Amino acid sequence: MRYWLRRQLPGFLPPEGRWRHLADPYDGDEVVVLDCETSVFDKRKGELLSVAAVVVKGQEIQLSQALDLTVKSTAKTDENAVRVHYLRREDRHLGVSSAEAIEKVLDFVGNRPICGFYIEYDRAILNRYIKRLYNFKLPNRFIEVSEIYVNQKRRYIPELQLDLTFEGLAKDLQVPVIERHTAIGDVISTALMYIKLTQFKR
Amino acid sequence: MSIQINLNQPPFSFLSTEQRQWLTQRLDLVFFQTDQVILDEGQVAPGLFIVYKGVVEESDGQGQVFSQYGSEDIFDVRAVLESACKHRYTACEETLCYLLRADDFIKLLDDSDDFSIYFKTDLGTQASLVEQRDSGVSEFILARIDDSAMRPPVYVNGQTNLARVAELMHEQKYDAVLVRSSRGIGIVTGTDLLKATLMGDKTKQTRVAEIAQYDLITVEYGEFLFSALLQMTQYQIERVVVRRQGDIVGMLELMDMLSLFSTHSHVIAMRIEQSRSLKELVVAAQRLDTLIRSLSDQGVKMAAIMELVTTLNRRLLQRAFDLIFPPRLRDRVCILVLGSEGRGEQILKTDQDNAVILKQEHEREAVMPLLNQLHQALLEFGYPPCPGGVMFINDSWINTVEGWQGKVGRWLNSGSPDAMMNMAILMDGEPVCGDKNLFDDVKARWQHSDLRSSMISAWFAKPALQFETPLTFLGKIREDHGKIDIKKGGIFPLVHGVRALAFEHAVDACNTLERLDWLQQHQILDEEVVQGLKDALLLFVRIRLRQQLAIKADNPGLSQQLNLEHLRSVDRSLLRHALHRVKKFKQLLVHHYHLESF
Repeated sequence: MRYWLRRQLPGFLPPEGRWRHLADPYDGDEVVVLDCETSVFDKRKGELLSVAAVVVKGQEIQLSQALDLTVKSTAKTDENAVRVHYLRREDRHLGVSSAEAIEKVLDFVGNRPICGFYIEYDRAILNRYIKRLYNFKLPNRFIEVSEIYVNQKRRYIPELQLDLTFEGLAKDLQVPVIERHTAIGDVISTALMYIKLTQFKR
Repeated sequence: MSIQINLNQPPFSFLSTEQRQWLTQRLDLVFFQTDQVILDEGQVAPGLFIVYKGVVEESDGQGQVFSQYGSEDIFDVRAVLESACKHRYTACEETLCYLLRADDFIKLLDDSDDFSIYFKTDLGTQASLVEQRDSGVSEFILARIDDSAMRPPVYVNGQTNLARVAELMHEQKYDAVLVRSSRGIGIVTGTDLLKATLMGDKTKQTRVAEIAQYDLITVEYGEFLFSALLQMTQYQIERVVVRRQGDIVGMLELMDMLSLFSTHSHVIAMRIEQSRSLKELVVAAQRLDTLIRSLSDQGVKMAAIMELVTTLNRRLLQRAFDLIFPPRLRDRVCILVLGSEGRGEQILKTDQDNAVILKQEHEREAVMPLLNQLHQALLEFGYPPCPGGVMFINDSWINTVEGWQGKVGRWLNSGSPDAMMNMAILMDGEPVCGDKNLFDDVKARWQHSDLRSSMISAWFAKPALQFETPLTFLGKIREDHGKIDIKKGGIFPLVHGVRALAFEHAVDACNTLERLDWLQQHQILDEEVVQGLKDALLLFVRIRLRQQLAIKADNPGLSQQLNLEHLRSVDRSLLRHALHRVKKFKQLLVHHYHLESF
C-alpha cells in the first residue's frame, strides 16, 4: 500500500531512511540561506548549474562552512543566462554531478529552515531533483526574504509601492551587493538582508 | 569564494599563497548594527575582526576614543593573544567584519614567522601608543636616534700629529674625532688634547694614536635618545658613538641632543618666560610650529594640542605685553584675543583678531604707540594681520568699557549681518593682558536679558546656515575638484551654531567644547548630539591640521581647503559622518530658531 502510494503520488510522502531527519521539527536558531543558478529561468526546464548555501546564526554568516557547488551539466545555456551567471559550459566541466550536489545540499541543510530571495523558485528546482532521486519534497520551513521586507514596510505604510527586485531591496536596506549572480554572492547579500530584517532593532 | 578584502597587503602579504588560500576559507562574515558593541571591556574575543565595510570605534566606554577602524583595518590583536579585551569596540555605522577565529589566527602565527613578528612588533607599538597618551613627557622620551640627531663621523689616521688634529677640529667645528690605528678605532676629544699637551708630557708632534681612547662607548642606531642620555650620565662623557649593525655611522653630542629637546613644550614655555627681549620671543614663537608638528606626528590628541598651544600663545602675548608696556600703564588697558584664539581653538597661527578695552578715554594717546609696537611684535611672531581689520590698532576695536557697552547695544539692535558677525567675534573674546576685570562689565552687557530677545538670538544664529554642507543628495561628500572648504562646510556652522546657543543662554565659556558641555549639563542639547559635535569638530581640526602641516607656504594656518584625495579611507568616511552631524545640527538650529521664515 505504502509502496503503491509512493508510486502513484511522487513526493507526497515524507522522506524516509537516510533523509528521515529532515522532517524532524527544528528548534535551533540557525537558518540556511540558499540560492541556485539554473540554465534557463524556468521551474520545469531549468537545469541546476550551481548551488550555494550558508548557515546564518544570529548576526553571523558562517562563510567558512559555506557550500558552493558547481554542477557538471551539459545543458545548453541560453546566452542571456550566461550573461546573468557567467557559468559557461566549459566552467561546468569541473563540477560535481547533480545527484552528488543534491546529496550535499540535503546533508548541509538538514532540518533547518531555508531562506532565500524568491525562494519559491529554488524550492521548485530542488524538489524536482529530489523527487526524481529520492521521491520526496523538502519538508523544511521556507522563509522568503522579500516577504519579511514587505511585512515590515507595510506595517507602517500599508499602501506603499515597493521595489521588490533583488537590487531594489539591497539598495533600500543598504546592503552591499557582492558578486551579483554568482550563487555564493547572492547568498551572502540575501543573508545580510535577512540579518538586517530580523536581527537589527529599529 | 573570493574574499572582498585585499589580502596582498601587510600583514597578510607575509603569508604564503597557500596560507592565504587557507585563510580565505576560514573567514566568517558578521554584520553589526549601528551603535552595537562588538567587543566590550573584559570580554574574550572570538577572533580577529577585519573590517570589510563600515567604521568601528575603539573607546574606553566613558567617551574617550582611542582609535577608529575602517575598511581593511584589523582589531583586536591583543584581545585574541591576551586573556581579554581592554577597550570597547563599537560599530559607528552598519559594519561588516570578517571574523578569523582565534584558533585559526594562532595557527597562522605558529606557521608563519613573518606574520607573527608583524603582530608582535605591532603589540609593542600599540603599547607605546597607550603610554604616550598617558604621560605628558613622552614627546621626547619616545624620540629615537636617527640622522637628524647625530653628526657624521670624522676620522684621522693614527699617525697624524696632535697639532694637525687640533687644526682639523677647529676647521670642522668638531670637539671629537675618531682615530684609525693599528689598535682599532679610538676617539680623541679636545679635552684629551689639552690634557696630553698642557698637563702631560706630549708635544705637538706626538702621534694621535698614542693618546686616543679605544674603549668606545656606543649606542645603537634607532635606540631611544633617552638611553644615549643615560649612557652619557653614567660615564660622565659628552658624546657617544652611534653604531648600526656593528658599523660606526655617527656621533651623538650632548649639546646637539639638548637642542633637539628644545622643541619640547616645557622648554618653549621656559624660553618664553625667560626671554628678555622681543627678539628672543620671536625665536620661541617660531619653535611653536615645530612643536605642533611633532605633537601631531606623535598622535597626541587634538584637544590636548589645542589646550597646550593656546596656553603657549597667550604666554607669548603676555610676555610681549610685559616687555612693551611700562608697569604704570599695564592696568590701564585690557587686551582681548578674539575669534579662534579667544575660543582656544587656534593651532597654527592664523590672523590676529584682537581688541582693547581702555580704562580712561583720555589715555588713548599714551597707549596707541605701545599698541602699535605690540602689533608689530605679533607680526614678527608670525601672526598675519586680520584682513577684516579686527585688530586693536584700528579705532573701531579700541574703546572704553562704556564705549563697548554702547557698541554692543547698537550691534544687537541693528540686527544687520555685519553687526551680528562683529558681536560673534567679540563674544569669543578672552582677556589676556592688563586689567582683566574690565571685560566683565562689557560681557555683562550682552548677557543682560533685555538685549537677548528671541528675535535677536535668531538673527545671531542665522549665519550658521550661510554655507551649505558639502554633502550630496545621496549623502556622499560633494567635492569641488577633489577639495572641500572645511571651514565653510564644517567648522564655521558648528562653531557658530554652538555660539548662538551660548549667546541665547548667556554662557560664560568661550571654548566650543566647554560650551557644548555647558549646554549638555543644562539639558539644552542631549548627550548624543554633544558628543557627536565634539567628535566632529576635533576631527575637522585634526584633518585640517594634518594637511596644513604638509603645505610649504608662508601661512599654512590660513588654508581651509581639504584635499579629499589625500585622506585615508577611514578619515574620508569619518569626515562624511561628521558632515552629516553638522547637517543635522543645522536642522536643529532651523527648528529651534524658526529660521525657515527668515
